[in-house]
Amino acid sequence: MKAVLRYLAAVAALMAALAPVYWLVTISLKREIDQFAYPPRWIGFAPTLQHYVEAFGSGSFGMYFTNSVLLAAMSTVAALLIGVPAAYGLTRFEWPRDWNNRIADWILSTRMLPPIVTIVPLFLMLREMHLINSLLGLAIVYTGFNLPFVVWMMRGFFAEVPREIEEAAMLDGESRVGALMRIVLPLVKPGLAATAVFCLVVAWNEFLFALILTQTNAAMTLPVGIASRVTQYEIKWGAMSAAGVVAMLPVLVFATAVQKYLVRGLSLGAVKG
Amino acid sequence: MERVMPLEIEHITKRFGAREAVSDVSLTAGDGEFVVLLGPSGCGKSTLLRMIAGLETPDQGTISLAGNDITHREARDRDIAMVFQSYALYPHMTIAQNIGYPLRVRKTPAAEIAKQVAGVAERLGLSNLLENFPRHLSGGERQRVALARAIIRRPRAFLMDEPLSNLDARLRVEMRAELKRLQHDLRIVTLYVTHDQAEAMTLAHRIAVMCDGKIQQFDTPSNVYHRPANAFVAGFVGSPSMNFIPSQDGVLGVRPEDVELSLTDQPGWSAGRVYVTEEMGNENLVVLNNDGGRITARVPSDMRLDCDTPVWFRFRRDKIHRFDAATQSRV
Repeated sequence: MKAVLRYLAAVAALMAALAPVYWLVTISLKREIDQFAYPPRWIGFAPTLQHYVEAFGSGSFGMYFTNSVLLAAMSTVAALLIGVPAAYGLTRFEWPRDWNNRIADWILSTRMLPPIVTIVPLFLMLREMHLINSLLGLAIVYTGFNLPFVVWMMRGFFAEVPREIEEAAMLDGESRVGALMRIVLPLVKPGLAATAVFCLVVAWNEFLFALILTQTNAAMTLPVGIASRVTQYEIKWGAMSAAGVVAMLPVLVFATAVQKYLVRGLSLGAVKG
Repeated sequence: MERVMPLEIEHITKRFGAREAVSDVSLTAGDGEFVVLLGPSGCGKSTLLRMIAGLETPDQGTISLAGNDITHREARDRDIAMVFQSYALYPHMTIAQNIGYPLRVRKTPAAEIAKQVAGVAERLGLSNLLENFPRHLSGGERQRVALARAIIRRPRAFLMDEPLSNLDARLRVEMRAELKRLQHDLRIVTLYVTHDQAEAMTLAHRIAVMCDGKIQQFDTPSNVYHRPANAFVAGFVGSPSMNFIPSQDGVLGVRPEDVELSLTDQPGWSAGRVYVTEEMGNENLVVLNNDGGRITARVPSDMRLDCDTPVWFRFRRDKIHRFDAATQSRV
């Protein structure tokens, strides 16, 4: 009886979580006449791929998609390249007078103000550097966004690796960098994976900054591109849904690929021998 | 085998903030010598070991190995191997990879590594565990893997930081013997840190007893036991601890086995009353109350004494240690 209730609860939760996804997918496959049918047609409509053709054939969604992929990849890689060594340094080197924690707090404090207040200065700075409307400009902004997150996540993971393991490696003949690359990083792989997924998702879904810092197709991302289909005269539900479905896929694929690490990464305690 | 040159430590001092963890310590270890650093926790023995390993930098003093000043060399350039209390195995590598790691770092050919790993594993009884990961091994097995990883490259010196303290009592005694034999065969100078005086007595050629960052006595186990340099050494080494009795010209120290007990009054003996008797199986420990304080005596197991039994005792004359009341040094 208890088991039945538990399954019922799980089914209910699953349905609540998946209903919007189901709706999105079906809308993207319905003819316009079916999209607004009342009562709604949950099943049993004539599927069509016309919206996909419209979005990615004639429309610019293909380009937005490429832009989003490039942007997410660039900003995630950059945030990890800068943030991981920073986190390592803050956990492994003793600074006098508790400066390790002070620096870490300062890094975190950059996330304590509402992002929107930074948008005007960012806009002006990027304009001076001719980085408005450019993927590079947005990548820099996203990297800055994700850095505090990377540093704080990775600090936790590095702290979990016993110092003695690294010291053993150094006595075995490794330099500090060698010990970091061959001993410590393999041990925090789950953490790296979890951190990378978060960075990717943030960059992938970000809307506000992309909207304001890009104005042409050249650097427009998927979220902005999808929203731009809400026009003065009509709302292209079909094309928007089709783009939305495609937008979900990379994150789904990536998250599935690293799921094994993700679970361990989020539950910490991954390296206890 | 290549002749191993001694390890020399001269006037080493290390401060953490205002606290002196190690102050002006000097000691030398000769060819193939087994030196144990013995002391209570926080006495600076581990810090001293870490400075020799190159994991901490001393504020003053020099460390030389085989005639070379290594004080400021990086850990990896010292040719020293260390066994940690936690074993510090690499969790993501198999046992074979763990043991072979020092050779892999040195770019030894894979075939040669495999051969040497097999040899060392054989020596330490790890041959059938080579493909496992550290998490699959028991504490004793992990301990042996850590040892194997340390000996595979024949370093100039071994450092061991309480390597047996995470094992259960029986295994600890077993491994202690193994370790002694291994060191005897390899004849590599070894520095071993422990707070367990039984380990120190059984393993060491010489013991350096440390307290408050200083070496209190550096001598053979026998001399440390029979001629302790001061009251601290006398009290720390030996179980149960030495009895200390204040007297007019300082402090007297008598080991429990040098206290004689009698059930009848005899001339020159002092009176006491049994507080408690602890049966150890092969012997009994009798704790008695006397005007001067509490005294422990080690007696044969057939001498059973109930609580509050009146007894008389005396100290074996030639076994009394005298310490200065002010300096605590041996007089």
